Amino acid sequence: MTHAESQDLLLDLAYGELDAKRAAEVASHVEGCAECRKEKEALEQTRRMAAPLRDLEEPSPGFDDTILAAARAQAQLEHDGNVGQVIEVTGSVRPLGLEAARIDAHGPVQARATRRDRPRWIVRAALGGSVAAAAALALVVSNTLETRRNSERAKLARSDEYSIRVQTPADSLGSALRDAEAKRDKNRLETMKLEAAPPAQPPAAMEKEKIAQLRVQPHKPGKKAGASGVPIEGGGGDAAGKNAVKDTPAQPRENDAAGTAARASTPSPAAGATARAPGAVVSKRVQASPDVDVSVEMSEAVRKAPQGAGAAATGPAVAGAPAEAGQLKSAAPAPAASALEANAQQARHAGNYALAASLYRNAAELRQRDNDAGGAAWNLAHAVECLSAVGQFDEARRVRDELARVYPSETTALSAARRALREVDTPAGAPVQRNP
Amino acid sequence: MAQERTDEELLAAYQQGDPGSFEDLLRRHRAPLFTFLLRMLGDRERAEDLAQETFLRIVKGAQAWEQRARFQTWLFTIARNLCVDQARRDRFRRADSLDAQGPGDEPPLVDSVPGREIDPGRGAESALLRPVLQRALLSLPAEQREVFVLREQAGVPFREIAEMVGVNENTVKSRMRYALEGLRKALAAAGVSEETAAEEPAPDVRLGRA
Repeated sequence: MTHAESQDLLLDLAYGELDAKRAAEVASHVEGCAECRKEKEALEQTRRMAAPLRDLEEPSPGFDDTILAAARAQAQLEHDGNVGQVIEVTGSVRPLGLEAARIDAHGPVQARATRRDRPRWIVRAALGGSVAAAAALALVVSNTLETRRNSERAKLARSDEYSIRVQTPADSLGSALRDAEAKRDKNRLETMKLEAAPPAQPPAAMEKEKIAQLRVQPHKPGKKAGASGVPIEGGGGDAAGKNAVKDTPAQPRENDAAGTAARASTPSPAAGATARAPGAVVSKRVQASPDVDVSVEMSEAVRKAPQGAGAAATGPAVAGAPAEAGQLKSAAPAPAASALEANAQQARHAGNYALAASLYRNAAELRQRDNDAGGAAWNLAHAVECLSAVGQFDEARRVRDELARVYPSETTALSAARRALREVDTPAGAPVQRNP
Repeated sequence: MAQERTDEELLAAYQQGDPGSFEDLLRRHRAPLFTFLLRMLGDRERAEDLAQETFLRIVKGAQAWEQRARFQTWLFTIARNLCVDQARRDRFRRADSLDAQGPGDEPPLVDSVPGREIDPGRGAESALLRPVLQRALLSLPAEQREVFVLREQAGVPFREIAEMVGVNENTVKSRMRYALEGLRKALAAAGVSEETAAEEPAPDVRLGRA
């Protein structure tokens, strides 16, 4: 053992990091080396003085609560599958005024809920008891803020009418904890229906309940055009019917596609046109500016749709559910109907609802000829919406009744049509505004 | 009595969906981690925040964790990195406040050592001494302080500290020597001699697994 080696190993000796043989070698050198001995003593003396720093200290009571709640939730999520993207639409007590019904319910903002693999109440139950969940929430949410900022689809919009919250699936823990927040929201707002359909329900029935298509529009451009706090106005029959919609894409990749669709729709001239459109028909003037238009579209169906992302951005009518995606594919050999639908959509987004309604009805006929009941029914439903949007309620009711008569099994489309007319069909006593 | 499960076994069990295992891990590491952060930051509240965040990050990362390193190394690496981030933020904040120094400005970290962490259960000497020690510790450069606290209090071997910090083991030991030297000087300047600390127990050798 040389002096240099010994010097090098004095620390290891002091902290017990040497094996017995090596330790003995160093000790034997130190015994005969004044310099090493002095250094060793100084080292030990400092350590003795600093000993109180080794005392363990405990964090305050309740420190564990948040962490354990998160750990349980995460274990549950990992076990049962990640919670994916969550879109929540919270409505007001007056979910859809007539005015709102007249604004296109199927603008470029669209959300589709897919079947959740597991009941959310498990997560909620796990988190519900946590008194300190709020603290964790703040932490985790701040953690994920960055990811959300980076994401085009993570947008937050609020208004008196309703609010939309889009959550990224980036971390399921965050989702789980935000779920706790959602639960509190639910308790606060009695009118909210935040629970998703029970898992036992068949997918088709769930779609009926969960499809939400809504239109988001700033009505005061220039004032607070930031991602948070964009004032929105508008409505969607479906959105009002179902206040909460949760979208759980199977894979992040699909979200990317959805994000692309959203990006495609936001700055495009088409989106600008759609943003301006309702102003023509809504009595309360809507001043929309394309650059503050909040357009979020998320749909697996859209991604799969043959039109591609660009077309999909303006193709909410076909983006309802996996079943519809299937129809899309089968509908590919019927270009006439597709073309009509595309035109109808274009007309609708341009605010030409009368034309759109007429095109939708024509398209419905073609779909019927192709034995595509679903497609036909949806076209009729869209026709009802468009007719309602221009105040042709009698005609809208006729189309709706036709839809109910011919396609009684197309319940999703039928409820969309009914919702479009719900305000004018409300029983006596309800305040119904009629616009000139 | 059944042998206690290792950290890594507990984490593996948690990966399999057993939240109870995580609870065990938390109980085992809560105080050491919190103490580490407290010594590093000198502020109880911030230490608690970062300790909580550390564990939440463990929760988030647990599924992806592979047993290449010890759990403790992972835990303290996260905490240490959070400390570095925190220090960076503090620097910015202090740089900002230089432009607008007002009466509300916080004193620098070194001067804001609270005496709150006095444990009444300990000897009076220790209770009196600890704030002085903490202040001396905070006067060290952060890279020396972290090595000192990781080795002295958390019981992390030099080799693992080197992994955490991203330097070689010799550098770690060099920092440790500087830290001990710096502490000795700071304590001497504060009038602390070994006689003052005489009632403290002799230093025991703390091995890796606390």
